[in-house]
This record gives sequence, structure tokens and C-alpha cells, in this order.
Amino acid sequence: MCSRTERVPLYNPAAIDGIGRDLDRWLNQVVDVRDREQFRLTPLSLLGSEISRAMLYTPLDTPDLDYGDLGFPGQEPYTRGIHPNMYRGRTFTMRQLCGAGSREYINQRIRSLLDHGATGVNLILDAATIQMYDSDEPEARGQVGTVGVPIDSSEDMDAIFQDVPIDKVSVSIVTHYPQNTAILFPMYLVMAERRGIPWNRLQGSVQNDFVMETVVRSASQYISPRDAFRIQCDNIQFLRTNVPKWNCVTFNGYNLREFGTSGVTEMAVALANAIETVSEMERRGHGPDYVGERLAFFWSFASDFFGEVARLRAVRRLWHRIMRYRFQAQNPKSMWMRCHVQTSGISLTREEPMNNIVRASFHALAAILGGAQSLHVDSYDEAYSVPSEDASLLSLRTQQIIQAETAVTEVVDPLGGSFYVEALTIEMERRILDELDEIERLGGLISAIEKGWLHGRVNEHIKREQKMIEDGDIRLVGRNYLRSPDVQMPDLWVHENDAGLESDTAQRLRQMRQRRDNQEVGRCLDRLKGTCRGQDNIMASCVEAVRAGATEGEMRRAFIEAFGAWAPPKFTF
Amino acid sequence: MLAQFPLETHSRGMITVAGMLRDAGMEVVVIGNATPRQIVETAVQEDADVVGISTYCGGELVLAEDLLAEATSKGIRDRTAFLLGGVFPPRNAAKLRDMGFSGTFPPSSTKSEIVSCIENAVRSGDKSSA
Repeated sequence: MCSRTERVPLYNPAAIDGIGRDLDRWLNQVVDVRDREQFRLTPLSLLGSEISRAMLYTPLDTPDLDYGDLGFPGQEPYTRGIHPNMYRGRTFTMRQLCGAGSREYINQRIRSLLDHGATGVNLILDAATIQMYDSDEPEARGQVGTVGVPIDSSEDMDAIFQDVPIDKVSVSIVTHYPQNTAILFPMYLVMAERRGIPWNRLQGSVQNDFVMETVVRSASQYISPRDAFRIQCDNIQFLRTNVPKWNCVTFNGYNLREFGTSGVTEMAVALANAIETVSEMERRGHGPDYVGERLAFFWSFASDFFGEVARLRAVRRLWHRIMRYRFQAQNPKSMWMRCHVQTSGISLTREEPMNNIVRASFHALAAILGGAQSLHVDSYDEAYSVPSEDASLLSLRTQQIIQAETAVTEVVDPLGGSFYVEALTIEMERRILDELDEIERLGGLISAIEKGWLHGRVNEHIKREQKMIEDGDIRLVGRNYLRSPDVQMPDLWVHENDAGLESDTAQRLRQMRQRRDNQEVGRCLDRLKGTCRGQDNIMASCVEAVRAGATEGEMRRAFIEAFGAWAPPKFTF
Repeated sequence: MLAQFPLETHSRGMITVAGMLRDAGMEVVVIGNATPRQIVETAVQEDADVVGISTYCGGELVLAEDLLAEATSKGIRDRTAFLLGGVFPPRNAAKLRDMGFSGTFPPSSTKSEIVSCIENAVRSGDKSSA
């Protein structure tokens, strides 16, 4: 495609003219008048894009389609996939979140999921850890080990990953925020160091997304988007230099979309963040491939089946165009839109929860037909609690059934060439690009967030979508559509919190603080504050503090002291 | 008044409910993340009739106890209705009601369910104070 400059349409003009005439005839003579009048309808779905759909697609919907817009898989522009053989070569990584509870319990869960054929680990943190509080801070009361694992210091990493072959298994640490990445990832590194595993053999990913920290997250205290973005970039630089196989940033569309945006905004914002990041790395003296070859995206897959497949193909093409033409990337890997997909949690219902197994299977199938690299399937009991072990295993089994039994993975990009899917792919790409333009006109993503654009966008979406659910315009089977006259809430096993976990964790933490050299910790935290106030990369000071035994809460307080608090734009109601 | 416990990360539920209540003609104050003590102190300042908590991250029983204990010590327990919504195990709904919550709202609760619960709670509150 890149070698030729003139477009070569796939359909010859005479054929297009003929199809046009035949279509008119068909519309007027064969198609029912009502169908003709409503030839284009807009399907409404949760987190949908509200793109209208024709009753039928033909070559007329993409009359100047050039095969070069699709290319071959593993070749530019990667519309059809980033690898030539896709799942024939390497199946998607089956990466299920590994649950909530004590560090010892999570260690068992990780080993059990790996024994059941999971090919990656997805470590999820409890609310105190996500919000960067120590398990014994007053605010952490009731929040220890409830929705993930508590981590306070590097010793917790030792326990969580005991006997897990971290030099072989890829580990995703759902750190969410740049600040949290700068705290928790050093703990992982120090753990590896203690086990004698060199950092350059570690594989996995962190999230490290400032949008997640400053927009999606609810919290009582924030640092500014500019400071959070700086930490995001400091993390990237440190990881690229010291942990070269680690994916240093995962642009997280998922949580933004689940919070309340369309699939188009989800992708536009993530791309805008990626663009700002590559540009900032250029300002710091690194070419586009420096971060490009080690970044990934994280998407939510909801119920508009073909819309989702098209979106993934579209963003793959768009990312290639951005990296190749805007940034002149050289390494093909930098032009690969690699992604992890999680099926949409908000699309699941509390009523008749077994229906969610069906929903999540369709979401997962769309992700695979779209060419995702890695997948988490949400469990049917999400509206009740953190998934039970059985529900979590069923999610893994869903992936395995698609992979091993349905044969959909044998053919690369099986929907490519569909008149419908190609037209929708073009439309999705156009819309994502339009929103990307809108963000750039606001001065880029950081400015757009400071100005309240994204908060406003989410606000508007939540209101609108809620009304569409109330009015029944968005249909949810068993909830607002075909609801059973007598809805029984089933008696599901729900995740039990271990009553002693909070006090045990807090006690262990206090003992650790007594064992360590507190003067050294104090010195390290002072140095950390100093680097935050200056221009240098903060990560070396973070690693040093963690080595000395600094805890998560101590480092959070150092950050807020150094950066100061930011008042985010308000949501209106 | 709508609030969340201090470390709650999700706010879609609270934003959604705030919109519903405002549409229903209520005056809504949204304070976001706060400790049980801060929530009660603000409820006193705002003279709130109803305090709604949005929770997704667990620990709701422990924190709800703390909240009601604070309300008792600040003397607003009897004149304030407490509601809780979000993701929590079904069996905790009964426990929260026994504790003194006027209503619990899992995901997919409707506007009319929430609004009528609030109206009933406020009406019965008026009667008992009269």
C-alpha cells in the first residue's frame, strides 16, 4: 500500500454503476415500502456509538475501497491483524483477573488459574491499594482485601508471587494510575531482585494511565492531570531503560467507557493520550519507537456485535496511520495496535444473572473476531460481588471453548471483506478521528481534561443512557425488556470477606515498619519529594524508597505533599 | 445528600442517582468520597433529610455501622433517613435494613423505586417529628 500512491478501487466503476441500478430496482420493486422508508435504523445499545445501519450493505457502501486499506495481516496498515497467522500462531492470552482476598489466597489463585490453562496473570488490587492507602490507615477501614489483594510493601509482592515463575509467565498488574504504578511496580521489581531474577527477563504490563487517575477515578484527593501525566512518562522512561520487555503503559479505554462514554470516545481519548505520550517522549529525546514498541491498549467490548468488531479493526488502522505518518515510526511493532479486551461489566444485569454468560460470550467472540491479543471475560455474578471461583472458571472456560471448539480462530480476520463490516470500519475510523480532532482543538488531552471537556462528555453520556434505559429504548432482556413477571433474585454464592484479614494485614504492616530502618525510609521519602519538585525522573527514588521498605501510603503522601492537590471539574446533575 | 465511603473508586452510580433525584424535583447535594464522620458532619450542616451512600468496593456493613454510630452521636439519627446503593451481596440488604437503613438499591434499581423510597422515608420522618 505504501509503495503506490494512486488508489486502486476494488470494484470497477461499471460494476458499481450496474449494482446501483439493480439496487434501486430491488428497493422499489422487491422491498416492502416500510422497510424502504426505514432502510437505515440506529441500533441503541449500552455504551453504543449510535451509528445508523442500513438494512443491507453492498459494494455501493464502499465504492472506492482499495485493498490497500486492508492489506494482509501482519502487514501495513494492519487492518486485518497485527500477525500474519494471528491465532494460528499464538492464541489470545487468556488473562482472567485473579480475585480478591489475602496475599496467600491470591498466590493460590494465581497458581490454580495457571494450572487450569490460563496463560497470563491479571493481578487486581483492593480499594485501599488502588487508592494508595496503607491497610492500617483509618480510611482503609472495611476496604482491605474486599475487591482485590492488599499490597502495602514489597514484602506483599514476595508472598503473592511465591513459586510463580515470573521469568516465564506474563504478569499484568492492574496499577491503574501513574502514581500507583510508580509505587507498586518498584515493589514488583524489588521482589524480583530478591529472587535473583534480572529485570530484563520480566514480562508483563502495567496500566499507568493519567486519564484513569484524574477523570475515571473517584477519590477525595487528586494531583493535577499535568503532574499525573509527568509521572506516567517518568514510569515509561524508567521501564524502557530498565525492564525492556515490560509493556510500560496500557492506555485504558475500558474504565472510561464503563464509567460512561461511547466506544468512539473510549478510543479517541486513549489515542489522544498515546499521541501526547509519544510527543512527550520526543521532547525528552526519544524517537517514536521508544515507547511505541512497548505500549498497549485496553478496550471494553459491549453488545453491539459488529460495531465492536469494526471498532477494533478501525483503531488498528488508525493507530498505524498515526505512528507511520504523524510520527514516522520505523519499527513495525510501534504501529501495532496491541490490546487487551475485557468484556463489558456494565452491560451485565442483576436480573437472571445466568443470561450474563450468554452476553459475555458474544462480547468475547466479537473481541476474537476483531483480533484482540488478550482477553478477560466478565463473570455472570458481577452485579453481585467480586466473581466467585466457579464463575471465574466459567469465564476462562468460555474463552477456551471459543478457542478450541468453534474453529473461529482458524481463519484470520474472518469478517474482513464483508460489505457491512468494511463500511462500518470506515465509519468508526472517521468518528474516532473526528473526536481526536476535537480533543486536539482543545489543546490536547491534558488541556481538554483541565477544561472539563471529558468530565462533561461522561456526564452527558450517563444522563442520556440512563434515560434510554428508563424509556426502554435500550433493551436489556430480563431487566427492562421481556422481564419476568416474578423476578427472583437467585441465591448466588458471593465473595465472602475474611473478617480477620484487615487486622492481620494491618498488624503485619506494623511489624514490618518496626523491622525496617525508619531513618533510611525517611531520607528516601525526602529524596522522593525532592525529585518530584524537580525535573528529574522520579522512578529511581521510588525504587530506592521501596527497597528501604517504604509503604504505599507513605509514598502517596510524599506525592501529594510535593505536587499539591488539584480540584477536578465538577460533574453536574 | 449523596456520598461515598472514602476509598470508593466508582462514581457512575452516584452521578446517575443524583440526576434521577434532581429530575424528581429534589434538592441534591453531592459530596463524593468522605469518611463516615465527614458525611455526618456535612449532613448536619446541610440539614439533610436523606443521606444516600453509593458503594461498590465492599466493606459496606462495617462502614454503615460507623455511619449510623456517628449519626447517633451527632443527634441526627432519628431525623435522617439512610439509603445505600451499589454492588453488595444480596444478604447484606436485610442486614442493612435491620441496622436502620430505609432502603437498599442494587444495580438496575429504577428511578421510581428510589424516589418513592425517599418520599416515604421523608413522610414518615415528618410524622414522627410532628
